[in-house]
Order: sequence, then C-alpha cells, then structure tokens
Amino acid sequence: MVALKDIVPAAQNNIDTRFILLDKASMNTSSSQGQNKTCLALVADETAAVHFQLWGEECDAFEPGDIIHLSNGIFSYSRNSLLLRAGKRGKIEKVGEFTMAYVETPNMSEIRWVPDPNSSHKYIQEAVISPHSRIFPPKY
Amino acid sequence: MVVYTGVLPVKDPPMLKPVECLRANRTIDFACRPLSLHPPELVPAVARRVPARSDGGYRATKSNGATQETASQCPSELSSRAAVPYEPYMALKLMQIAPHEAEDPTELSLRQAFELLEPKLRPPFSLTIPKPQEYSLLNKAILYGVLYECHLGKTHIKHLHAIVTDGYGLFVSFLTKVVNELYVKLLEPLKCQLIWVTKELIDVLAVGVDGLLVCLLRQIVGGDFSDGNLWLCFEMVNILLTKWDCLLEVESMILTSGLYTYLRLLADHCRQLSNPKLEALKQLEIDFCIKVLKEQFPLCLKIGRDLVRLLQDLVHLPKFRAIWKDLVLNQGEFKSLGFSGIAQLYITRTPSQYMLLRITPEMEAQLRFLLTHVKLGSHKRHQAWFAKKFLCEPNRETVIVDIVRFICCAHHPPNEIIQSDVIPRWAVIGWLLKSCTKNYVEANAKLALLYDWLFFEERVDNIMNIEPAMLLMVYSIPRYIDITHTLLEFLFLLMDNYDAEHYDILVKGVSSSFSVCVKKGVIRSLDVLTSCDALSPILKERLGRFLLGTKFEISGKLIQARLPGHFERVKNSTCMETPTPSPESMR
Repeated sequence: MVALKDIVPAAQNNIDTRFILLDKASMNTSSSQGQNKTCLALVADETAAVHFQLWGEECDAFEPGDIIHLSNGIFSYSRNSLLLRAGKRGKIEKVGEFTMAYVETPNMSEIRWVPDPNSSHKYIQEAVISPHSRIFPPKY
Repeated sequence: MVVYTGVLPVKDPPMLKPVECLRANRTIDFACRPLSLHPPELVPAVARRVPARSDGGYRATKSNGATQETASQCPSELSSRAAVPYEPYMALKLMQIAPHEAEDPTELSLRQAFELLEPKLRPPFSLTIPKPQEYSLLNKAILYGVLYECHLGKTHIKHLHAIVTDGYGLFVSFLTKVVNELYVKLLEPLKCQLIWVTKELIDVLAVGVDGLLVCLLRQIVGGDFSDGNLWLCFEMVNILLTKWDCLLEVESMILTSGLYTYLRLLADHCRQLSNPKLEALKQLEIDFCIKVLKEQFPLCLKIGRDLVRLLQDLVHLPKFRAIWKDLVLNQGEFKSLGFSGIAQLYITRTPSQYMLLRITPEMEAQLRFLLTHVKLGSHKRHQAWFAKKFLCEPNRETVIVDIVRFICCAHHPPNEIIQSDVIPRWAVIGWLLKSCTKNYVEANAKLALLYDWLFFEERVDNIMNIEPAMLLMVYSIPRYIDITHTLLEFLFLLMDNYDAEHYDILVKGVSSSFSVCVKKGVIRSLDVLTSCDALSPILKERLGRFLLGTKFEISGKLIQARLPGHFERVKNSTCMETPTPSPESMR
C-alpha cells in the first residue's frame, strides 16, 4: 500500500493505495451510448490529494465520504491532465466510509513532473503548479 | 431485470405481523419478512448453489410479487430467468452489497466457517467434543447457518444446544458482532432470523444476551419512520414484554435500558400525528414503559436524572401524566418503595451507557472519529457527510439531542486530544445547535447540553460533562455571540423555571458548575463573560448578580457585582419555544 504523496507518474498498473473520496465533478460522457462515461473526482489520504478518474458505472457507485481501496491502479497523463485511475487492469472497491483523515495539499495532479536526468524511465517533481486542486478549489 | 439494492416500502406494515409465523412454520415462510422482495439466497439448500450475480445484487421481476422464489423452484427455473452471465459458484451472502463494495471481513469469516464445516451441520450430528479452536469455528458455522438457512433454523439451534459448553457466550458474542457491524446491511429476511434466534437465546438465559439486546436496541434509529425501523421497534418491545421474567432473571438492567430507549422513541413517535400504522406500536411502547416504571421502580432510579428529562417530554400522555404527578408529589406507590422524592433522581448522574442507547454504533464510530482524528479547520467535509447520512432526512433531526448528550456524557477525550488541534467537543456541539431547524429540537438540545449544570455536585459529577457548554459560551465570543446569549439566557431560564420547588438545588448546581470550571482551569476567569462588551447588558447584569448572590469565589477573591439585588427571571425569552413542563405546572 503506497501513500499518495509517494505516487509518481508511470505507464504501469501497479499502484495499491487507499483514499477517501472528497468531491465529484459532473459526469462527462464521451460517447453517445454513455458507455465511456467518466467522472473526475478529488481523492486524498493523510499525506496528499490527487485527481482520480472514475469510469463507467464507477461514476455512480461512489459518493463523497467513501473510503476506497485501489489495486493495480495507474497514475498517468490523459489528455494533458495527470490522473490516478483503476484502468482496465485495476480495480476499486469501497471498503468503508468517513473514518479517514485527509489533507488537500499537496495535490499530486497539480505538480509539474519532468523525466529524471539520471534515469530516463522515471519522473521527478519539478515544480508545484498549484498547492490545491484548481478543479476542486478548497471549499471551506 | 431489476437489481434490488435497497429497502423497498411495503404497503402492509410488517410490524403488525409479528414473527409468530417464524415459530409456527420453520419451512420457508416469507410472511415474516419486513420486505416484499426476497433474495434467491433464501431458497433451500438444494437450490442454493445456483450461481448468482457476482456483485451480490439480487433479482426480482417487475411484476408485483409474482416472483416468489420458493422451494418449489428448481435451480434450472431460477437460472433460466437470468440475463447475466453467472459464476460457477454462488457466494452465500448475508448482506446487501452494492456494486464495487468490498466484502465485510466479519461476514467472510462466518461464511468461511460455514463452508468449511457444512457437512457437519447436517444431522446426525457428531457426538465428539470439539477442541477449543473447532468449537469457535463450529459456533460461527452454526450462526451462519441459523441466519442464512432460514428453513433449517430449528435444526441449527438444536445442534447448538447439543454442543454448547460455555453458556452460549461465544455464540452470543459472534451474534453481537453481527448486529453491531452488519445489521444495517443485513438482508431483510435475515433480520427476522436474528430476532428469532435472540428469543431462543433469552429462553436459555445465554451468557451475554443482555448485551445483545442492548445492541439490538441501538439499531433502532430515532426519528426513522420507515417500515424496517418500525418493525424493529415492534420486535424489540415485544421481546421485552413477552420475555419479561427471563430478562429480570438474566440482567435487570436490560429493562431500564429498554425503558430509556422507548421513553425516547415515544417522544418521537408521539410527534407523528395521523400516522395510523404507529398507533399499535405506540400503545405497546407505552404499556412497556408504564410496566417498568410501576413494577420495577427501584431499578428505574438507577437511570438517574435523565429519567426525569425523558419523562418530561411525555407528560402530555395521560398515563405518564399520572406517573409524573406521583413522582413529583412523591405519593402513591413510589413513596412506599423508599423513594425520597424527585431530588433523589436529580442528584444521581446518569451512567454513560444510557447515552449510547440512542446512538447507533455506526454513528458512534463516526462521532468518535470526528472528535479524535479530524482537525479543526478541515472538519467541514466530515461534518457535511455526517449530516447528510444521519440528520438530513425528515424527522431525523431529533437525534441531535441524543448526540449532544452522548458528547457531553459519554465521549471524554484524553488530555493529548484536548491539547491537540483536533476539533473540540464544544465546536461540534455548536455546529449541531446551528443545524437545528425546529425550535423544539433546539430547546431540547440546549437542555441536553446544560442538563448536568443544573444538578452539578463536585463530588459525584464529572467536570467533562459541563465543560462543552462552558467553552461553547466563551469561545463563541465575539463571532457567534448569539450562541453565548442563547445559552446563558437558557441557563438562567432553566434555573428559574425547571423546578421551582427545588430552586435551591438548581442554584447550587449552576453555581458549582461555574466555580468548578474556573477552579479546574476550563476557563481562566469568568471576566471573559462578565466584562464582555458584546454581551447584552441585561445578561451581564444577571450573571454578575448571580455570581455575587451565591458568594461565588474566583481565584480567591469575590466578584464585585455592580448591582445588588435578588434573582430576577429573564423576561421575554425567545429561546425556549417549547416550555419545559415544570413539576409546579403539574399540580
């Protein structure tokens, strides 16, 4: 189980983590049948927050306050935005509700990453674009 | 295909159909179910290994009740209706599990035990005495069988009677865990089984059955008028009345726990006018409460001062009015029972386990988490989630009164938490008071907050019970000065009017509360109130006079009040919409 502050963009389905869903954006349907429905969400754990992409029926199955276990997830760019998601090989499951503390900063999706000069397959943090999510600005 | 995932309303209130059917006919009998739909899981063992949807959802056709999937239906009939691909083996589920929801570990452990020992659960039963490890597994397996194999309940219970060596202690502890952790999501017909097996356990005076009953009482949700919840109200009061003698023998405290629960529920139920399905239930609840009060009054005294608080809300009912009068005047049957008068109740602090009775375990867990882990400043989302889940539905708001009492009396954080940046109790209570939309709920919540102030006695009372009100008054200055006003005003109003016959007790209680809060360092000095510019001059004056009049001492020096004089009542108070019935008004 990895803490959200330690996730790094990569083209690998290997992220196992647990977080609480803080907020959901309105749904985004990219096909007429609604099969490729997606929904952007703000999720967080005790160390960091990140944007999570819900897909298909996941969009309706999860609500703010749900504690979610992600297995074999992927943190990567999708149309220029950096998102955590289950992907085709991963899975998300509701494992609880409410009883998880969280922080809204740093937001791992709001960090500019650059290839590591020492290891071309890896990314390292270059700069903080925004301390909080710009899509879900702090509400309170 | 309709996938059933929630509680559906039924036209026929299930509470009017007691579970006698369960006892009369242990073959599959759906008449007892609180719902009109039933899962294929309930088909007998022979048909049970029919594969089902992997997500645990279950099927019902759209036609009205036409899908009684009973013993007569063979597996092929069931599967032929299926429109989704099946898994080869059906997961035996106790609970309604939504898509994407992980399986509960408690359920899993019971199911695994059942699957492992299933051959041993069929007669003829083995006569060998199991080893401790096997005994535990066998208890789990039988419990799963009792709940899950509705039609074999009696067989499983016979098996349990045959193997039990610990007074049913382990079995009851597993069952208690199921109630605490799974009840909310338990499939409805299994809830009937739960009640049935609980009655069986009372009959054998099982070890710990009183705790099990308390846990079931806690599952009744205040202000929830759904059929499922009213059904549980009915079943529990029915158990308390019909198993009265057994329960007295097992643990008499269960009767006073029942009394506390039903006095509180009655207050909610009586506010629902013109709800015909409540009438029969209300009558039973009244009968039970009156029976406990009349037949077991010495036990009731142990509840302490909150008994008075709850009874007050019911004096509009004739039967309670009569009891109230006898209590206040200390006459009739009470006097002969060694009751020295209502003051005896006032000075008895209510044990904190009573405060838990009106808070569901899930609510308790969330409140304790909020007050232990959530930091002040980033608490708003958690508060909003809590409110959405427990407070927002119609009529649910009355639980705020119970939550305030719970926070004051049953959740006492250690010093590390008090000194940390975790959201303090007074802030949560401030939020709850602000969440009240009905005047009578707000008045009762303020009474709940200030109740221990009225009778505070340093030797027996806990400062933690009065601390939230003191801090809420002080820390609401200046931004939420209306809270400070309303609380101080309400405090004086209570002192003057709550029970004029015992005015001396109330004055002493309030005075001790102020003095102990300063002495123990809850606040440094009362100057923060007496010299607060934002506070209304009338209240400041009243407070000053009160503190002087009671020879109140702060840090060794007497407060110099600006005005001498006698106590005066706060006039034209708007903070109390529902007048507190004072004993005086009863005469």
